[in-house]
This record gives sequence, structure tokens and C-alpha cells, in this order.
Amino acid sequence: MIPFILTRLLRALITIALVVTFAFVVLRLSGDPATIILGPEAPPEAIEAFRKSWGLDQPVLVQYLQYFAAIFQGDLGMSMRDGRPAFELVVERIPATLALTLPALMLKLALGLPAGVYAALHQGTAFDRSVMVAAVFGFAIPSFVLALGLVLVFAVNLGWLPSGGRDTVWHAVLPIITLGAGGAAALARFTRSAMLEVLGRPYIRTASAKGLLWAVVVRGHALPNAAIPTVTLIGFLVGSLIAGAVVVESVFSWPGVGRLLVVAVANRDLAVVQCILLLVATTMVTSNLIVDFLYGALDPRLRQGARAAA
Amino acid sequence: MLITRRNTLRLGAAAAGSLAMPRLAFGQAGRPSITIAVQKIVNSNTLDVLREQSNVGERVFFGSIWESLIGRNLRGQLEAQPMLATEWKRIDDQTVELKLREGVRFHNGDEMTAEDVAFTFSRERMFGDTEPKNRTTIKAFEAIPTPRAGKELPPEVPAVARRAWPDLARVDIVDKYTVRFVNSTPDVTLEGRLLRYGSDIMSRRGWEDSASYLDWARKPVTTGPYKVERFVPDTELLLVSHDDYWGGLPPLASIRFIEVPEVASRVNGLLSGEYQFACDIPPDLIGEVESNAGFEVQGGTVLNHRLTVFDKNHAQLADPRVRRAMTHAVDRQAIVDSLWAGRTVVPAGLQWPYYDDMFHADWTVPEYNPELAISLLKEAGYKGDTIPYRLLNNYYTNQNATAQILVEMWKSVGLNVQIESKENWAQIMERGETRAIRDWSNSAPFNDPVSSIVNQHGPNGQQQQIGEWTNAEMNELCYFLETSLDRPARRKAFRRMLEICEREDPAYSVLHQNATFTAKSRAITWQASPAFAMDFGPGNFAV
Repeated sequence: MIPFILTRLLRALITIALVVTFAFVVLRLSGDPATIILGPEAPPEAIEAFRKSWGLDQPVLVQYLQYFAAIFQGDLGMSMRDGRPAFELVVERIPATLALTLPALMLKLALGLPAGVYAALHQGTAFDRSVMVAAVFGFAIPSFVLALGLVLVFAVNLGWLPSGGRDTVWHAVLPIITLGAGGAAALARFTRSAMLEVLGRPYIRTASAKGLLWAVVVRGHALPNAAIPTVTLIGFLVGSLIAGAVVVESVFSWPGVGRLLVVAVANRDLAVVQCILLLVATTMVTSNLIVDFLYGALDPRLRQGARAAA
Repeated sequence: MLITRRNTLRLGAAAAGSLAMPRLAFGQAGRPSITIAVQKIVNSNTLDVLREQSNVGERVFFGSIWESLIGRNLRGQLEAQPMLATEWKRIDDQTVELKLREGVRFHNGDEMTAEDVAFTFSRERMFGDTEPKNRTTIKAFEAIPTPRAGKELPPEVPAVARRAWPDLARVDIVDKYTVRFVNSTPDVTLEGRLLRYGSDIMSRRGWEDSASYLDWARKPVTTGPYKVERFVPDTELLLVSHDDYWGGLPPLASIRFIEVPEVASRVNGLLSGEYQFACDIPPDLIGEVESNAGFEVQGGTVLNHRLTVFDKNHAQLADPRVRRAMTHAVDRQAIVDSLWAGRTVVPAGLQWPYYDDMFHADWTVPEYNPELAISLLKEAGYKGDTIPYRLLNNYYTNQNATAQILVEMWKSVGLNVQIESKENWAQIMERGETRAIRDWSNSAPFNDPVSSIVNQHGPNGQQQQIGEWTNAEMNELCYFLETSLDRPARRKAFRRMLEICEREDPAYSVLHQNATFTAKSRAITWQASPAFAMDFGPGNFAV
């Protein structure tokens, strides 16, 4: 087990290092932060002073090495726009984002899983077709279109909910529905497919032929086997908790990590972008690790395989 | 029906009639509180006038937080008027003496005195270790201070300050309510520089009491009718009434600026009554908003012109006749009519009427004359080689559409201009063989041509500093304009500069004046200023 964990951790570190390097190269080679942050009418001497102060007058390779060395000392750098540690800036935005993404994840699970299972168990019925139409619609519609549509109906026309901001709990309702709808649709489709595949397997027929109640067959044989691909998708959804709401946060003026990322990329505020990417990569890698472990728990063959390998 | 921004808003507008009455919260003494949706509150995440030199910054600073000794009349045509100084006079060519308004209270309750004015223009707050450009006759006013920990100025602040006050030698305190600004060289623009963005007065104790520069810059203690209660960068700015304001009780209990990046979201919030004002409305949405009887769009031209800028080092643009052809091939009025619904104007070149006696009312941009353009290209021997046009994606309002129209107009006279989309200003300005044409805008921070044509296109201006353009005669005239006290001669020199930069050896071509539009409920009585600044001072808000 320990070699397995170490291998995964090493792979995770390499992934994170590659993400940071890629972001550095793309951001630094596509524009000088001084000109972008100070704007097109800034006096040349102000731009020069800014560049010198932030070390932007150094060769890019030197900047990269300095940045990488600092990361290993736990220093993620300072925001060039804000003058504060990038980590501090990012961390203070996380609660706002989680206030949307966690309830949205619950909504996805609460809607997507039962809808997918029920549709599979009633394949070909009106319910199944309705669920699939709704799922295709929810999956295909861009989140900003859904967001504006919801605002139009519930904020402008009906006046029931606010259109944007983060003042009260009611401000979170429309963003959560927007985020939840797309994920629930994907989850419903995925779960239905997985269930249908499992339901067609010989061991399900065998279990039924043995005289087990259908509910027992579904609970004891179909659901655990169908859970494996579904857990993979849930892993991705959990992995995107930190930065999975970029568009929705922009449309609803929600001051979370997504908004910060958009502003930081636009301004080439390198330390902030990289801090967010580090967090996202870490979350995604951790989530994948957990999924890997869950596979073992869900599928006895994987546990036995691991034991045999040991 | 296509799902477009226009259709989406049309549906919303149709249903919003019953919501036209603004939902105002009434606070202290029955005064209302309002929420204003803006695309961006500030770019620098601070409320320091020297760090945040932008149009969006101007909107939240002036008329609300910051005030200068000499003000601009935001309810008129921006003419100079007494503000924190009640009167001023010239002592000599290099010195202006100002009498301060008595009884002005800062947001912390302190009275404003000459001490605060001198500190505002000190090395510690403004200039750092920079020196006056032409310091030859007068000793600089103070030793270079060692900044206290946490109070170091951001590097761009002294640079911006010195650009605004290149030759200021010192500020003398004559008495509690009298100060003298002493320049190291003769300068007719001293009074103009006193009303410019960045020359605004702050409380010395407010600075001293702040733990760090950032703490101060997020809650500066100033004299404006509203004081900063809360500032959350990229999110919101809450201002509350400064009840001891020298100009009378402010009409609003509080003003909340909130950042709503999407224009559709701003308009939706306005229509649903959450916001009382929605700023940065593009011209193509004005009709949609006003199709609802309860709402209107105010605003108009501001002190900012949109330009096309030339790099005369590009092989195809080295001959001024090609650049002249480009200036004559553009039907500017067509752009104003089609993209701006006629709500802005084609100005008289790079100048503004508030230049007063320096304004040349008879000057015009190059006439739209395609035949002349064709003839100039023929004379120059232009063979149809590609001229690159580096373009940002709608950094300016209507930028993409304007660029496409320009390219077609140039094409119609035989110019082969190709758009190259770029992502940011650094890519736009990067030196190289593909730099030929780009977009820009120029402002006039104070009422003299030095503030624009000299600062932007002169030897120290951006265009020359990045190596796009230079002209020896223009550079001599810039020096003359900055140092001469002979007003008729200065006026003549400015005329000659316009001839060089806009006609003979074009550095740029003025397209149109910029404009800004703010949507609001008709139930609110409020007058927009001919500037980005939003004035909510006494007498300019009623429901």
C-alpha cells in the first residue's frame, strides 16, 4: 500500500510542477504585467519603476527559477496588484466559492443520482425519456445562458430572487441552481448508462433467477457495480470545487476564487494565478487519490489484485 | 428567437414596468441609500489617486471621496472653480499662493490646514526619492525620508506624481490657511496642475494613524462628501455620508458601488430594482433600456478622445503621405452615427474647449476625402503591401466594430490593412516589424495642451518613449509650451503642434470623443457630469 501511495504522491507532485511551469511560461510570455496593470496611459517611468520593483526586468529564466525556489520555501509570492501575499488573497475567497460549489454538489448528487438510477430501472418509459431530455438540455446549455435565463425569470420578471451579489442567503439560490443543473444532468446520464450496463450483465439475471427480490438485486448487485464509473465522475466534480464556478461567479458578481482567477489572469498577476492553479491541481489530485482508494473499497477484485501484487 | 444580449434584455425590459420605482433604502434623517453597479470599481485595488489613475477610479473618487484645492465644475463644463482653496494668485512666474477654505473637516474630524496640504505634496506621500526635472535654481524642499516599515510607496506612485508635477520644488506654509506652491521653473500650468487628478488633499493624521500604505490606501482620510466605510477589492465599495462636509449635508446616507462585470447582469439588476444606477452601458443598449418608460440613460462625452496611432518606423508608414491618406479615408461622423447612436461627437482634434484661450475652435480633424486619400497613396507609391493593425478585444467601447469599419474604409481607398488580434497592451506595444497601427485614447487631466499633446506625444510621452514616432520640431515646441509664459506665443505653438501631429507628419488620428453612459430610474433626479466622475454632492440627488 505504501509504494502505491508514494507513487501516486510523486505523480501528483510532478503534475503540480508541470501545471505551475506551464502557467508561468504562458502568462509571462504573453504580456508584461507592468503595462497591463498600470494601463495604456501610464507614464513610461511608472512602468519602468514597477517592472524594476517586481523583478520583471530580470530575464524570464531567472524569474522562473526564483519563483520555483520560493515555492519550495513555502512562499507563493505577492500579488502585484494588491501588494499582499497571493496565498492570503486566494484563501480569503475560498469560503465564498465553497458556499456555492458545496451546495451545488449536494444538488447534483441529490438530483442526478436518483434520476439516473430511476430512469435506468424504468428504461423506455415516459419518465426515462423526460429525464434524458432534461439531462441533455441541462448538459448542453451553457451556464451563462442558463444563468441569464434564470435571472430574467426569477429576478427581473417575478422579483423573487436577487440577480447578483452576495449579501444574503437568497443571493446564492440562482448561482447554486445554475451550477447544480449542469452537473446533475451529467450525473444522471452517467448513472443511467452505468446502471443499464450493469443491469444487462449475467450476474443480475442469475440473482433474479435465484428468486431474490428485485429491490435486493438492485441494492445488493446493481448499485455497487454501477457506482464505480459514477464515483469517477463525482471525483471530478469534487475536484472542481475550488475553481469550478468561474463563469457563474462572473455572471452573478459572486466574489469567489473564480472571479479572482479571471481578474488575475487578465492582469497577469502571476503569483495569484499560480496560487489558484496550485490549489486547483492539489484539490484535483487529492480527489483523484480518494477516488482511487474508493475503487478499492467498492470493488473486491481491486483489493485482491493489490494484495496479490504485494 | 436567438438568445442574444439584446433579446434577453428586451424580455426583461418588457416585464419591468411595474418595477420602475427605485427600491431605495432610507437611512439616517430620511436620506436614501443607493447601490450603483459598475463594471470595475478600481483597477489597482486601492483608493489612492496616485496609484489608481483610471477612468473607473475617477468615477468613484471625484464628487464623492477626494477633493482638490482648485476644483472642476462637475455640473458645468468642468471649468476651474474654488474648492478647498477659496482664492489663489500668482506671486511670480514660479509661485502660486492659495488661501485655504476655513472650517473644512476631514473624515476623521480634523480641520484641514496648510500642514495637511504641504504633507500631501511631500516626499513621504508623493515624490519619494524623485527630483524636480529642471531643479537648477531652487533647492528641493526636504531631505529624502527613510520610509517607515509598511509605509513604503508603491514604485509607480512617485513616478506618476513626478509626471504630474515635474518641476515642483516645494510647498511653503505661509500660515495656517495659506500655502505657496513653488516651481523650479516658470510654468503657466501650475493652476491647472492643482485641479488635475492626483493633486487631491489628504489628512496628514489619517496617514500617520494607518498601520501601512495599503491600510491607508483602502480607507484614505479626505474631505469629500462621503467617507469610505468598507472597501472589498474587486467586490464592493461602501461610502457613507460625511455629515460635517463643508459644502452642506450630503443628500445620500450611503452609496454602495458594487462590481458587476457583465453588462446584462447590470441592466437586469437595474430593471429588477436592486441597483439604482447601472454604469458602463454600451451605446447599442441605450435604446433597449429606454424602451421602458421607467428608465433612462444619462451621460455623454467625457474628456477623452479615441485615436488611431501610427508607427512611422513601419516600412509602409514611413512616408507621411500614407498616414495622411489614412486620416482622410475615415468618415468619422459615420462611426459616431452608426456605433454611438449620435451620442458623441467628432472633436476639433486633440484638444478640448475647456482649454479656454488655448483652444482652437477653427481647427478640425482631417476632412473625409477618399479622392484625396487615393491621390496621396498614388504620390507615395504605395503598392498595396500589408499594414498590420494590432487590436485588443473591445478594451474600448465599440473597439472591434470601429476597427472593422476603419479597415473597410481604408480598403475602399486601396489600403491593405490587416487586423491582428492581441490579448493585452504589452503585446500591442511590443516593438517589431509588425507594429504599424493601434488604438489608443488620450485624456486631458488639466486645462492646457501640455496635459495631453505634450504628455502623450511629446518627447517624454508614451508614443515617443516606445519608439513609434518622433519629430524634431514637435519636440522643440513641447519644450517651449512647457516653459513659456507668453500666452499668445504658446497658443501659436500649440496650433503648429496640431498641424504637425495631425496633418503633416501624422502621429495619430483623432476618431471621436469618448462617452460614458449611466442607466437609472427616471424617478431619481440626478445630473450626470461631462466626465467619468459621478457627482452625488449636495443638491444633485432627489427622488
